[in-house]
Amino acid sequence: MPRTLTRREWLAGSAGTALLSGCGEERPIVPSMVSIVRAPAYDQRLYETVRRMLEEHRLEVRGRHVVLKPNLVEFEPGSSMNTHPLLVHAAFEAFRGMGAASVRIAEGPAHRRNTLDLADAAGYFKIVPRFEDVFVDLNLDEVTRVRPVRQFSRLGALYLPKTVLGADLLVSMPKMKTHHWVGATLSMKNLFGVVPGGIYGWPKNPLHWAGIHESIADLHAIFPRPFAIVDGIVGMEGNGPIEGTPKPVGVLVAGHDPAAVDATCCRIMRIEPLKMEYLRLASGGEAHITERNIRQIGESLPAVATPFELIPEFRWLRMENS
Amino acid sequence: MTIGILADKQNRDGGWPYVRGSSWIEPTAYAVLALLAAGETERARRGLRWMLAIERSDGGWPPKKGIDQSTWVTALVALLPPEELGASAHARAIAWLLGTTGRESTLTYRLREWLLGNAGLSGQEPPGWPWIPDTAAWVGPTSLAVLALDKEYRRRPLPAIRERIDSGRRFLLARVCQEGGWNYGSVRALGYASRPYPETTGMALAALRGVRSPATDRGLAVAQSFLGECRSADALNWLRLGLLAHGQLPVGYCHPLEVTDRTLPDTSLGLLVAEAEKGRDFFLA
Repeated sequence: MPRTLTRREWLAGSAGTALLSGCGEERPIVPSMVSIVRAPAYDQRLYETVRRMLEEHRLEVRGRHVVLKPNLVEFEPGSSMNTHPLLVHAAFEAFRGMGAASVRIAEGPAHRRNTLDLADAAGYFKIVPRFEDVFVDLNLDEVTRVRPVRQFSRLGALYLPKTVLGADLLVSMPKMKTHHWVGATLSMKNLFGVVPGGIYGWPKNPLHWAGIHESIADLHAIFPRPFAIVDGIVGMEGNGPIEGTPKPVGVLVAGHDPAAVDATCCRIMRIEPLKMEYLRLASGGEAHITERNIRQIGESLPAVATPFELIPEFRWLRMENS
Repeated sequence: MTIGILADKQNRDGGWPYVRGSSWIEPTAYAVLALLAAGETERARRGLRWMLAIERSDGGWPPKKGIDQSTWVTALVALLPPEELGASAHARAIAWLLGTTGRESTLTYRLREWLLGNAGLSGQEPPGWPWIPDTAAWVGPTSLAVLALDKEYRRRPLPAIRERIDSGRRFLLARVCQEGGWNYGSVRALGYASRPYPETTGMALAALRGVRSPATDRGLAVAQSFLGECRSADALNWLRLGLLAHGQLPVGYCHPLEVTDRTLPDTSLGLLVAEAEKGRDFFLA
């Protein structure tokens, strides 16, 4: 589908270009490191895989407070909708092993209010020992009012959970899924889950009215450097993030730069990241998320890429030659 | 026993948390209703005093102290007995509800959509209630607002209240899922049928008390099937309340023992539903 730039996209792109090229002098972009690691199944091998992956990224978490933010959507014991609890527990153990002062798991589901029941149905109580002691329902957490440093939507200030704002390291742990409103939901969209339903409702409808893409970019401005670990062992294609079908990919994708991680996931899904509005907005244009500006390690993209089925409204996002 | 939990968990300011921490309106409103049902008026009144202290100037209530927005929780305040809350505060809560609709029902929004060629000026959905003003209406807050207004109408049968109850119920009836029951939102999203959820199905059925239609019959059938398989205390409370409202809760129904109350609203609602099963429905009078 041919698509012209909106005024907002043009302005955002121009602003990004201006930022990247002070007074006409081009500054080199420091490539963000993104790793693609094979993980064929949700089994005990994940613990070692995640530990090694985090070591490669040289995260310094000794004495720090880490918050893992999975994506919990539905009462579903299967593997394609929610971030798998075994992956979250593997990350939990890895960060503890790296000397973190505390590791907590925190999530604020978008439309199901009974968060602990949802986590139970998704298998978290079985996999994570004393789950209730380490879990924070972000929908009902204490809040502080925050204004994004850069604002793309009309949201203005947002009340956000203290657990997340007070973390030394926030780790976004989404599922690799298509999304029926924005094309794909990955580590940046996953941060919708930090917006408290207790203040904004279920779903967090003010974000939708303010523009989903713009709200994602706002949240990226508030949390610009979360670490991201994307659960692409079994993703979801078609009418995600709820009604889609499981898509086995067998990978984890991780990195410090959520825009670069999400762009890499899009390429694995054979979605053109440069056509993804929120990625363009949040990264200030295209340069930052082009393939040559991402230092990718681990598996090569061609070795793991597999086209995700897209609903008709989003087929224009498909990468050419897919 | 469970009333004892409510007593233990009451904060010093008089309100209740969801689990622990600071006081919120939702757990406090349900705890106050449960305590009043149990005759524990002193504790309930401490809760009421905290609630009254955070009322906003527009007559609505924020979800908790320090939030500068009145929201859906005003419906829960309106469910409280006016003689305990205070008649004027209660009347302001009702007025706030009567003046609140989903953004898609406002004249400004409809006019804008008409000017953009997206919709006609008439023929839109009946107005429901949003979680937070200036956003869309949803099944959950609409059900709670209808419950509050229905309770008020039994006390004060005013046409303006009747009109909003009826339109809220029409909103719910327009949102019945293809397979019966209620999702939290639309019947379809981008052409795909939405699935019903147990908690929203129970809430909608409770709000549709006295409404007989094929849609409620299908909703009741879905609720019966959810009742057998659901293991969420919150969802089961609403399913029981919804089925009770239509006289369809199976005789001798027993709450599954393995179901855990996760939050204080689960505990309070459980107590209120148990009272309703005995014929003392605090959502009615």
